[in-house]
Amino acid sequence: MRKILLLVLTIAPLLAYSQGFQVNLEGQKQIGMGHTGTGIVQDGASVFFNPGAVAMLSENYIQGGISPLLFKSVFNPAGTSIQNHTSNKVATPFHAYAVWGPKSSFWKLGVGVYTPFGGLTDWGNTWQGKYVLESLNLKAIYIQPTLSVKLADWMSIGGGFVYNRGSVDLTRAIPLANSNGDVGQARLKGSGKGYGWNAGVYFKTEAGITIGITHRSQVNTTIPAGDAIFTVPASLQSSFPQPNTFRSTIPLPATNSIGFGFYPGSKWILALDVNLVNWDSYKTLSFDYKTNTAVLQDTKSARNYQQAYSLRGGAQYKANDKLALRFGGGYASTAVLDGYVTPEAPDANRVYGTLGLGYTVAKHLDIDISFEYEHLMQRTQTNFESRLSGTFKTDVYIPGISLAYHW
Amino acid sequence: MKTLKLHIYIIAGLFLLGACKPEIHTPKPSAGSVNFSRYIALGNSLTAGYADGGLYLAGQQVSYPSIIGKQMQSVGGGTFSQPLFNTAQANGSGYLSLTGFNADGTPITTPVTTNLAIRGVLPVPGFGNVTLYTKYTGDINNYGVPGIKLMHITYAPYGNLNGYFERLLPGNAPTNSTTYLDFVMSKPFTFFSNWLGNNDALGYATSGGAGDVLTDKSTFAALYNVLINTLTAKGQKGVVATVPDVTSIPYFNTVTVAAILAGVQKANPSVKALYINALVSGSTYAPRAATTNDLVILTFPTSKIGQPVATPVGNLPYGLTPYTPIDNQYVLDEKEVALTEDYVTFYNTTIKSVAASKGLAVFDAYTFLQNIKQNGLVVNGVSVNSNYISGGLFSLDGVHLTPRGYAIVANEFIKAINDKYSSSIPQVNISDYNGVKFP
Repeated sequence: MRKILLLVLTIAPLLAYSQGFQVNLEGQKQIGMGHTGTGIVQDGASVFFNPGAVAMLSENYIQGGISPLLFKSVFNPAGTSIQNHTSNKVATPFHAYAVWGPKSSFWKLGVGVYTPFGGLTDWGNTWQGKYVLESLNLKAIYIQPTLSVKLADWMSIGGGFVYNRGSVDLTRAIPLANSNGDVGQARLKGSGKGYGWNAGVYFKTEAGITIGITHRSQVNTTIPAGDAIFTVPASLQSSFPQPNTFRSTIPLPATNSIGFGFYPGSKWILALDVNLVNWDSYKTLSFDYKTNTAVLQDTKSARNYQQAYSLRGGAQYKANDKLALRFGGGYASTAVLDGYVTPEAPDANRVYGTLGLGYTVAKHLDIDISFEYEHLMQRTQTNFESRLSGTFKTDVYIPGISLAYHW
Repeated sequence: MKTLKLHIYIIAGLFLLGACKPEIHTPKPSAGSVNFSRYIALGNSLTAGYADGGLYLAGQQVSYPSIIGKQMQSVGGGTFSQPLFNTAQANGSGYLSLTGFNADGTPITTPVTTNLAIRGVLPVPGFGNVTLYTKYTGDINNYGVPGIKLMHITYAPYGNLNGYFERLLPGNAPTNSTTYLDFVMSKPFTFFSNWLGNNDALGYATSGGAGDVLTDKSTFAALYNVLINTLTAKGQKGVVATVPDVTSIPYFNTVTVAAILAGVQKANPSVKALYINALVSGSTYAPRAATTNDLVILTFPTSKIGQPVATPVGNLPYGLTPYTPIDNQYVLDEKEVALTEDYVTFYNTTIKSVAASKGLAVFDAYTFLQNIKQNGLVVNGVSVNSNYISGGLFSLDGVHLTPRGYAIVANEFIKAINDKYSSSIPQVNISDYNGVKFP
């Protein structure tokens, strides 16, 4: 079984896509319970959900999982009966954690590798909005070494340093046709890095309720010299010099969370999380080209995102020693104001429901699976900048699986 | 391991669930209060799909009536037939193609002269040569005839004087005597669009006020009433469009007085002004210095400037002295502009009031194109404006539209129809249509 586990862990980085801009798929047990995990201790995923709780883990963990994700958007241009669908691309957010500390010690070390932000949308090159966006593949992979310390039996704290490896691959059509009638294309492709931190505190109260509070910092991720590739009719190529590079910075926002755990009987865990995401840091999306021409100017698109929150609830029922059943759900408010919705992330208020199942297949080895359905409310918009006008609607389907070895 | 297998089945099942696509419920397209079963289009070159200084198959295929006709098919519209050139003669009358740029950024256009549909040239005494094109004998829904004015619609010999009209008629010039209006009315229809009237002002304007005249106002009003009364005689519904501001097109705003003067001054800084032969009043013209309010046409051969011209006082440089002004045919001067605008305003008042009296939909092309000239337009992330070539709206002749321009116009017609008749003809995807093609 160890072999399978290693297989998952090595494949995962190769499938390192991610989705939805903010991607909340950081642990199968937690997904099953509606993405709660700040105020309870389940497994090594606490490295992400609450570094402060890691020291409360009674065992050491090594675990990994993936959540192949189908993001299905449709766009209905205003005044038409056309339905533009995103193509079926499967993004694979993943997560892997290792937590270790001497038996019964007051401290634990951990490391997490996870994908908290990303986007994979491919609208194709024939749709209404092709001059706004054809496809976007945005990935952020956070690597977070963590130290957690138990200050008392009822309280622990922890924190981690975050290194982000981010990449973007964006294509859009350019409305300049060659003699065959084929239009041009811009492709911006590059990677960069950013730094941040993640810290939390965890309490067990006398009332038997557990509480966690965390802050994951903003991570400004800069792509210093991505490739800016422009395919245009030959007579215009001098206006789009090649090779060229671009610089862009994306402020991946901070998240503040508070979570509660309730234990009504030995078989049940109920959890509740509230998150506040400081998306208001995302004001503009800029591309600064190294070589400018009269035609190719730097771009600055207003995004003006606002703070967004999410409410999450979930439960776990331990049917027997080996089997755990989980369910949960939640609501997340959109970060995107009216008039700023773009096909990059056709965001809207969303609701989701999750189911999960955990099974101890062998001594020390858990297998967890989950399924999530997420629905983004229908949203009719005319973008201020592109004047792209129509209705977006999105459904997301996310099955997931992980293996956790603990001792 | 049995459970593991079960899990795999569950996951596979969930993937199948993932295969279902979200759909947005849209109201079923409706014809509202109109029968769209046979739609016909009346108009001139803009209606025919003329572009890049010619009528050719690729332009015809993106004419705004053909786009509207196709969109109408979801609300009960029938087949929309156009008098297309056949593929062997796809280049029709010939047209201009953009073949490159000079070092100073000015475009190089080259005429396309192969695969034409020219049948012959007929000299008409007292009129001139008429180019005749390969006849079209099939069904017609698009009656767009390049060059036609409102003034011509009841003129019986017109079928001998306009080769684009002649090619639609069964008879050969010079034996034709069917008027445009009779020809259009020869087959019943249920819905029409009418965008006649542009050439009644544009002919005068593009000839610099020299080679043509503005159609008399009362003639225009009388004929417009005849036209609409005839078209609506059996209760047919329709949409009409106003005449665009002729000065809003790149034909008059690309080769500017300031640009020519700057070019001259680069070589000879002592030159202070260009001279034109400008309208004083009535038909009296006199030379004067050009101002930015005088509009030079796109096809003005700027190389003429400064060439020696023989005068009673000796050789003087063309365009740079009051004795050698730029010829009238190249300039729509300030007073000619004002005169044209006055007529266009009258034509449009007529068009709107006649349309209102018959309850017809109106696409106000004048306001729409004026607005684009002033503010530009952004559609689906594409910015269009009235600039020559780079604007994406006007084709290489600076008067007619690009496929993108025709698609935008088609959507404006559709919006006007839907607003008036509570129909819901779906709009077309403008992103599918290109601007000027670059080599």
